[in-house]
Amino acid sequence: MKTSRRTLLKNSAAAAATLSLDWRYASAQAETVRIGVIFDHSGPFAAGGSVASSIGTQIAIDLCNERGGVAGKYKVVPVNADSQSKADAAINEVERLINQEKVDIIDGVYSSAHAVPLAAKVEQQKKILWITTAVATAVFKDKNLKYVFRAQIHSDQYGQAFAGFITENAKAKLGVEPTAVKVALIHEDGPYGVGVAAADEEYSKKAGLNIVMREGYSAAAPDLSALVTKLKRAAPDVISHVGYNPDITLFLRQARESGLRFKMLIGAGAGYSQLDKLRATFGKDIDNFCNIDPVPAQLLDPKKLAPGIGELTNIMVERYKAKANATDVPPHCSMGFNQTWILLNSVLPIAKEKYGGFDAESVRKAALDVDIAPGGTIQGYGVKFFPPGTQLSGQNERSTPVVMQNAGEHISVVYPTNIRTQEPVLPLPKSSVYSM
Amino acid sequence: MDPYLIEAIINGILLGGVLALLALGLNLIFGVIDVVWIAYADIVMCGMYVIYFLYVEYGIPLPLTCLMAIASIAALGVVVHLLIIAPVLNSAPINQLLATGGLLFFLQSFATLLFGTDFRNIGVRLPVLEIATLYISFSRLIAFAVGLIGAVALYLFLKRTYIGTAIRAIAQDREIVGLMGVDQRRIYLVTSAIGGALAGLAACLLALQYDVHPHIGNTFGPVIFMICVLGGLGNMIGGFIASFIISQIIAIGGYYANTELSYVLAFTFFIVLMFVRPRGIFAR
Repeated sequence: MKTSRRTLLKNSAAAAATLSLDWRYASAQAETVRIGVIFDHSGPFAAGGSVASSIGTQIAIDLCNERGGVAGKYKVVPVNADSQSKADAAINEVERLINQEKVDIIDGVYSSAHAVPLAAKVEQQKKILWITTAVATAVFKDKNLKYVFRAQIHSDQYGQAFAGFITENAKAKLGVEPTAVKVALIHEDGPYGVGVAAADEEYSKKAGLNIVMREGYSAAAPDLSALVTKLKRAAPDVISHVGYNPDITLFLRQARESGLRFKMLIGAGAGYSQLDKLRATFGKDIDNFCNIDPVPAQLLDPKKLAPGIGELTNIMVERYKAKANATDVPPHCSMGFNQTWILLNSVLPIAKEKYGGFDAESVRKAALDVDIAPGGTIQGYGVKFFPPGTQLSGQNERSTPVVMQNAGEHISVVYPTNIRTQEPVLPLPKSSVYSM
Repeated sequence: MDPYLIEAIINGILLGGVLALLALGLNLIFGVIDVVWIAYADIVMCGMYVIYFLYVEYGIPLPLTCLMAIASIAALGVVVHLLIIAPVLNSAPINQLLATGGLLFFLQSFATLLFGTDFRNIGVRLPVLEIATLYISFSRLIAFAVGLIGAVALYLFLKRTYIGTAIRAIAQDREIVGLMGVDQRRIYLVTSAIGGALAGLAACLLALQYDVHPHIGNTFGPVIFMICVLGGLGNMIGGFIASFIISQIIAIGGYYANTELSYVLAFTFFIVLMFVRPRGIFAR
């Protein structure tokens, strides 16, 4: 059949239009959200919970993508970075993510020592820093940050929980008024340790507890025996210990060998949340120790949470165990998963659909719109960020920690009382090597 | 006297024993080969991993495990000498420092790659010696005693044996000793093996007290280096005494002031001494 020039042109134009349509369609299908993800995959913080947080984050991203991506349309592409447990490495990696990888959103950050300088740097460049794990209140306090957000709890809340738990149980469990309870506050000397210890001190004083000692130390110190000797001299009933992993094991070992006795030791997350690792070293010695942290999602009763949240937790727990070959799922996994899930499912869809894109300005506006009621996240708390102009601008005003107590592989929530799953065991039973 | 102060002093002495053993190997190598093994504490880390895997994973009895760790780290010392130190023996000191510094990062990264970032513990719990209100850790007591025995044994080896005499001679003048028929290469290898064996021995003692992880070397590296310089690099007796000076500053400073300040005091003491005696307290 002979084809006229006119027919050829018409057909060519139609084919081109069709191809063009297909290409545009394909382009829309392929639109992605690139997110910088930064954690410590090497160095001492890695085993202190950073890797667990990164696994939680990756599970959230995978799950989001399996469900079609952000708003069911836009696949998430993580650009991973290792901050190597060093603040300077964290800063360099974030520089790379922003300037070379051209990402507008950075998710992650385990250490408060990294979060403090990173918050200032990312704010200055008007990009988004979405903190999953670091807790120091100092990251936000009086900084009026506009591009940095944290749904995670902050260190002042550790102090509130510590003092509240002791005060509530002093008379009933220890048989004395709160004013007669002697507490010692020991901490690693980075922003995390200093921040939590300062909050412990402030709220302990408000509660009238008797603070007999407060001392910091370097997490890399080769010896803590002088600290242990001074604790023996001060003879506290309760010790609050804020530390990472190598220093916690060194302290507990030297405390046992030096005959330090106390009625309760309360950790503040980080190394104390890596229970399987502590148990491998100390076995039953750490039974009945308490730990303050955001709750690991699997400890919450799914019936008290919003519909679908329990199922989300089950998926996270199952995948974490498979990925990490672990029996315990530490709170850090929940922190990484929860914060990232909030970003991907409650912030980015609004940024795209209401504010027009995944750029920093749209994400910032969308974050300020977020309003999740308590029970709406896998860690139980709701989400509403303090707005600019307030003292903690960018921090979640609805986050809450819990006090947990462990016995073997069983972990219970013992405070706040309204959600506790078990009465606290206080003081330590006589069978404990640390009991008075 | 304040019983807690006595306990702090005893703890300081016991810590000094561990630091002295670590400083001994580094000083020996520097004294003879004239190269600072910046990665010495990370070679100790390798020894701790050997102990962990042989004892925990393969169930080999601990004494045998320790002997195997000492032998394997002695061999590692020889390998390090042959592959890294020997090629830069006649280079500028900065190049030697960079080479051993590179080894430090290599060992830490390689350990992370092989074993992950987990903290591992051999799970041996030794009893505690209780005397009235004083508690003394057996693991620290053993470390102190072995450190002391190691120092004496090394001293006797250097004084009483032919190879020991050759090692001392080469430490005094490496050019002349060659002219007298001593095989320098062989002496370097023997010294590296002894330095490695001492690192292996230190690993045995540290594994009783510390978790092993790829960055455990960072906990001890700076302090050992400071001790060696304080005692006079290459001066084994100086390093031995400096270990106890520093450990007492840490222990008593920590007791009277606080743990953070005790390290500040130790490093301040070191800096001041470097102004007064730049070649170390015991430099002749």
